[in-house]
Amino acid sequence: MTIELFLQTVVNATYAASYMALIAVGFVLIFGVMGVVNFAHGELYMAGAYTVVALYADQGFPFFLAVAVGLVFVGLLGLLMELALFQPLRDNPLGGLIASIGFLLILQTIAVLGFGVRMENVPPSTQDKLVLLDGAVLTYQRLYVIVAAVGLLTALWLFLRKSKFGWALRACAQDREAAVLQGMSINQTARLAMFIGAALAGVAGALTAPLVSPTPFMGHSVIVTAFIIIIVGGLGSLEGAVLVAILYAFVHTFVTTLYDGTLANIVGLLLMLAVLVVRPTGLFGAKERA
Amino acid sequence: MTSKLALDRRRFLASTAAATFMAGVTMPKIVFGANKVVKIGFLAPLTGAVAAWGKPGLDGLQIWADWVNADGGIKIGDDVCKIEFVAYDEEYDPSKARTGAVKLIKEDDVKFIMMLGGDPWPGASPVAEKEKMLVSTLLPSDLSPETTMLVAPCEVHPIYNVTGVEWLAENKPDLKTAVICAQDDSLGKPSVATYLAAFEAAGIKVLGDPIFFDPATTDFAPIMSKMLALKPDIICLDTCYADYVHPLTEQAFQQGFKGQMISCTADFYPKMIEKTSKEFMEGFIFQFPDFDDPALNEPHVNFRKPNEFYAEYVKRFGEGEWGAVSWEYASIMDLWSDAAQRADTTDPEAVLTAMKVGGTGKQAFGDAEWWGKELFGIDNALVGLWPVVVIEDGKAKIKEFKSIPDWWGKHKDLLIKHMEALDQMYYQRS
Repeated sequence: MTIELFLQTVVNATYAASYMALIAVGFVLIFGVMGVVNFAHGELYMAGAYTVVALYADQGFPFFLAVAVGLVFVGLLGLLMELALFQPLRDNPLGGLIASIGFLLILQTIAVLGFGVRMENVPPSTQDKLVLLDGAVLTYQRLYVIVAAVGLLTALWLFLRKSKFGWALRACAQDREAAVLQGMSINQTARLAMFIGAALAGVAGALTAPLVSPTPFMGHSVIVTAFIIIIVGGLGSLEGAVLVAILYAFVHTFVTTLYDGTLANIVGLLLMLAVLVVRPTGLFGAKERA
Repeated sequence: MTSKLALDRRRFLASTAAATFMAGVTMPKIVFGANKVVKIGFLAPLTGAVAAWGKPGLDGLQIWADWVNADGGIKIGDDVCKIEFVAYDEEYDPSKARTGAVKLIKEDDVKFIMMLGGDPWPGASPVAEKEKMLVSTLLPSDLSPETTMLVAPCEVHPIYNVTGVEWLAENKPDLKTAVICAQDDSLGKPSVATYLAAFEAAGIKVLGDPIFFDPATTDFAPIMSKMLALKPDIICLDTCYADYVHPLTEQAFQQGFKGQMISCTADFYPKMIEKTSKEFMEGFIFQFPDFDDPALNEPHVNFRKPNEFYAEYVKRFGEGEWGAVSWEYASIMDLWSDAAQRADTTDPEAVLTAMKVGGTGKQAFGDAEWWGKELFGIDNALVGLWPVVVIEDGKAKIKEFKSIPDWWGKHKDLLIKHMEALDQMYYQRS
């Protein structure tokens, strides 16, 4: 492997780690606080991408405005899911899971009816790029994803550590019953978690829309990767999700570049299997979680 | 409660009486009217990653049906028949293709089924063979000695890809090295074997092994990085789906590739230009023309009114929606309707016999021969001329029609060798 190819692969992996971390952290936040596996998380990512299709590609609004609207819109979609689906089914985790599958299909159908089944074309907001070495390049479009992921995840970390609402979220994630006994509102905390988790998926979709050619079915592949990441990282562990997203992205990208993508998928699944055998709770998972 | 029910019942009875009356009024038209309706099945992906090779074809068929039906329909025996298409979305899934084939044959009573083919074909195959249903595929690699009711009457994928490479070697002889990538599936593999044979025949060296990627791939940067690391003159995108050709081309542009690109398809290429640049896409070679191309008015072309067809398609669906298959299923219908009229019946076996009479047929781009015994074990692929298309100044243009049988006559051993190496010969497929 030449130094140029090595550097290019590091750049590719960093981008992949960034959007995967945004998606996985949102996914794990929802699971941690609410105990619900949100199967529609991939479709929230898709909804973010289609917000950019509608506002930026179709209507000509500035790209970053479309991304910001995508973040808020998908966050509100998450809030809607919480109010309409998860809150009424709070005592029935299986019901929440099935409801999320239904919501997944609804979102897919709305996208199909609104935009058609084919991939959408989202022109890049810029074609500028950084040339790191001859042959190794980082486009600004990818750089935006990396910068946004670092910024948003840092902000989330600070929010969870330094704010009263963040403490409530962490408390609910650790032990919901104890949190309720301390006077915290599960419903209020769940709404917050759902908004943040969905918004992270939405902003990931919005930022990557010019890079992936959105389709109504684009959520499927990311949800599989998100599952691997949160299982290896430990269900409910935000730090685990970030670190494993980075680990997974680097392993997957390097194996794809050096060998092939199918082998990279196998390696990813073997990694998950190995972690489950050695440490069933995941690398950063607590032994028992409410 | 009782009165409400009684009211509902009265309404129900009144509605039923009205419906019966209306049926009575319209029934004589159906029984004694001039036109019968022949239903034709369309079993192809209308959603998912492969939808770009299904939905535009169905759109094209609608134009075909509107034109034919507006002219009164087609005369079969003593009847003049309107054509109606019944579509089933098989989502490029064999089990759904099987369900769709059963529905189309048993419930809809279709007389002919058009498929994209590929992975879904093994699902539909047992049903089609059992029911003796005539089925067309765009992918002759589905053919085998057992598929007696399956024909590939329009597109001889992937064999026509040799024409693009042959033209490239003749016109840009300084390009000597290539890399190939494709999704790892029944569409990608035989196409890779074909490009390997075509490059070898043209004296172009393929660097490294072909790169097969998982069809679930979403980030194509690592694949392009790997290809560019080999410093090729030519990047070959094989028969990648549109969902892959676009991001791969974009990645080649972003990672600074300056050489030649060749691909089986470049569906929705104006959008590729939008994502890269007109300069980058200049000279991009592929195999599927826009039908407003003046070259399609040459006398050997059999497709009816290609320029008008394209204009109507653009009017209905938009210029950016034209794709590789927009015209293909319509051209298959030309062949089927011609055979059905000559056979005086819609019986699938009789139509197949009429279609193949004399061993030749009128393929869209010219008169062609029923061929394929050596490659597929059965002469059910209609092969002849195929266009080489190049993007010039942002527009696809036919550069030349080249003969597939001529290439086959000179290099068939190479193609069989590479097909065997990738387990793609009919006797190697399970």
